[in-house]
Amino acid sequence: MSTPKHIPLIETKKLCKSYFNDDLETPVLFDIDLVIERGEFVAIMGPSGSGKSTLMHILGFLDHHTKGQFLFQGEPATKMDEDTLAKIRATRVSFVFQAFNLLPRTTVFQNVLLPLLYHPTIPAAEREGRVQRAIEAVGLSERSTYLSNQLSGGQKQRVAIARALVTQPEVIFADEPTGNLDSASGTHVMAALQALHRAGHTIILVTHEQSTAEHAERILKIYDGKITDDLRSFKRRHAKDGITIEK
Amino acid sequence: MLMRDLLQTASKGVTVNRGRSLLTMLGIIIGVGAVVLMTSVGRSMEGVILGQISVLGPDTVAVFPGNQGPEGGNSALRPDFDSLTFADADTLAQLDTVTDVAPVVFVSGNARYGTEESDPRIVGSLPGYYENQTVEAALGRLHDESDERTARSVVVIGSDIAEDLFLNQSPLDKRIEIANKKYTVIGVLKPVGTQFFQNADERIIIPFSTAIAVTHRTYADMIVLKAQGDLDLVLADVTSLLRQRHGIIPPMDGGTENDDFLIRSAAQAQEILGTVSLGLTLFITMIAGISLIVGGIGIMNIMLVSVTERTREIGLRKAVGARRRDILLQFLIESVFLTFIGGVIGVGIGLGLDYVLATAVGKYLDNYTFEVSIGAIVLALAMAAATGIAFGIYPARKAADLNPIEALQYE
Ligand SMILES: Nc1ncnc2c1ncn2[C@@H]1O[C@H](COP(=O)(O)OP(=O)(O)O)[C@@H](O)[C@H]1O
Ligand SMILES: [Mg+2]
Repeated sequence: MSTPKHIPLIETKKLCKSYFNDDLETPVLFDIDLVIERGEFVAIMGPSGSGKSTLMHILGFLDHHTKGQFLFQGEPATKMDEDTLAKIRATRVSFVFQAFNLLPRTTVFQNVLLPLLYHPTIPAAEREGRVQRAIEAVGLSERSTYLSNQLSGGQKQRVAIARALVTQPEVIFADEPTGNLDSASGTHVMAALQALHRAGHTIILVTHEQSTAEHAERILKIYDGKITDDLRSFKRRHAKDGITIEK
Repeated sequence: MLMRDLLQTASKGVTVNRGRSLLTMLGIIIGVGAVVLMTSVGRSMEGVILGQISVLGPDTVAVFPGNQGPEGGNSALRPDFDSLTFADADTLAQLDTVTDVAPVVFVSGNARYGTEESDPRIVGSLPGYYENQTVEAALGRLHDESDERTARSVVVIGSDIAEDLFLNQSPLDKRIEIANKKYTVIGVLKPVGTQFFQNADERIIIPFSTAIAVTHRTYADMIVLKAQGDLDLVLADVTSLLRQRHGIIPPMDGGTENDDFLIRSAAQAQEILGTVSLGLTLFITMIAGISLIVGGIGIMNIMLVSVTERTREIGLRKAVGARRRDILLQFLIESVFLTFIGGVIGVGIGLGLDYVLATAVGKYLDNYTFEVSIGAIVLALAMAAATGIAFGIYPARKAADLNPIEALQYE
């Protein structure tokens, strides 16, 4: 349903990003124009160093762009103060990183609990149930008292996914989530992301692999900081229970 | 973030590395322990100092020959210098601002009874000495005018001497030997404890006339008296009388450097002791303060290391929604935890040491008791917590100001 006042979830207009080290400017993203709607599963694909992670960090409110516009639900990000950004990170977006980024020497339960500690509205009484459901969703219920360093890579990444979904955010960003995993574990992780997508979350996946990108509905190709293609994924892959099924 | 969650997170940060946390706290433990110990010692010492003169009363005055007070004075006038005549004592007794004037001559020698021996302070003085020093007989009697007139060989002994020489026997009418001369014990004094850090129960008192006969002294080693009314006025009276008798002209500023005598009152002694103990307390408090600062720098150092080590954790916390103040408070609370726990341990150790010290010293010093000052404990803990805040703020700000993505990518 489209009304004249339709507001997309994420919209960028001529978005640019440069890194500054001392006086040295490194331009990384150039005039990115892009619209992502609620409920989409988008893969951002491109070779290493093309600016995928940089773009994802900006869209996820972890970093600032340097030129152009970034609107989140119509709100310009540049107008938001630090506390507003923190609130958005706590409530509306979450991340799965290639390096897992679990708290060391901390249990699975405590790791998944972490975002709820910073959530402004979820009451403390609801925490335990939410954490248990999130851990169950990634199939790690029996491991919830394990310490993070007692898990395999695939299990770690599933903990990270549980952590990402525990606040039920609108958007889940995943940056090379299978990059450190063997293919079986990777398939598990992609199955979990697809399940999240089916459950209504917007998923933005960053990858340099065509085969991984094909799990998404839509593939944005990026090259040297510019979007070169915006495609429907026709040969969509479905990762399920360790088997990749093509549609 | 809820305060409860903050406290939990911070306590995990402290307990995850227990050994290091304990080492970090060491400076605070020592500083706080020292504050608690020294303030308690100070209070105990105050009790002791008051105890030293409480028997005498602050108006007890002693005049010594020579002029070697704490101020230095005339170096030609040695403490063993003879300047106080017996007539000086008689004339002082005429003053209506003083009472209980008694010249004192010290007699040297050990006291022996059978095979028992003891090393007393032997005082030859007039009966007025007893009133002056506020001592009473526990057994027998004190010596009187008739003993003086006939220079009898009689002694009144302190309670510790009685115990040393006679154990459980009654000392009365026993004959003891001092410097090859026999004396009959006519009385035993009630115990009075220490005075000016000397055991006053280890003295033997003999008649003044007897002391002169054995020592052939013509000068007094000390004149004791009691002031009546305003102490400063009495001291001025005594001073001007002695100057007049000794033909001493004081310098223009009225200083004491020309005097050949020295006047001390118990009140002055109390003041001096009080000043010394205050000085000591201030000194130790300063050391404790320095120790807290050094401890605080240690805390800051470790917190900075901790922030660096946990850069990725901080990045992650920010990525899942931690605000600047959540991180700031987390690290600030962590450092306050370190200093506060260190403070609590320090208080425990300080009180423990103080108790041991009080038990040990209490045996030798009357009126030295175990004193717990709640005020000092609260102050010490508050100082510890304040140290945590003062030295924790910089590392905590450093953590809070980290850029989330740079922190996450930190290697
Ligand atoms: N903090 C930084 N400072 C300077 N240059 C950076 C920084 N982070 C990334 N870059 C550069 O930006 C480019 C894009 O990096 P990135 O977004 O990580 O690429 P990708 O994720 O596609 O591999 C690279 O050339 C990289 O060297
Ligand atoms: Mg990348």
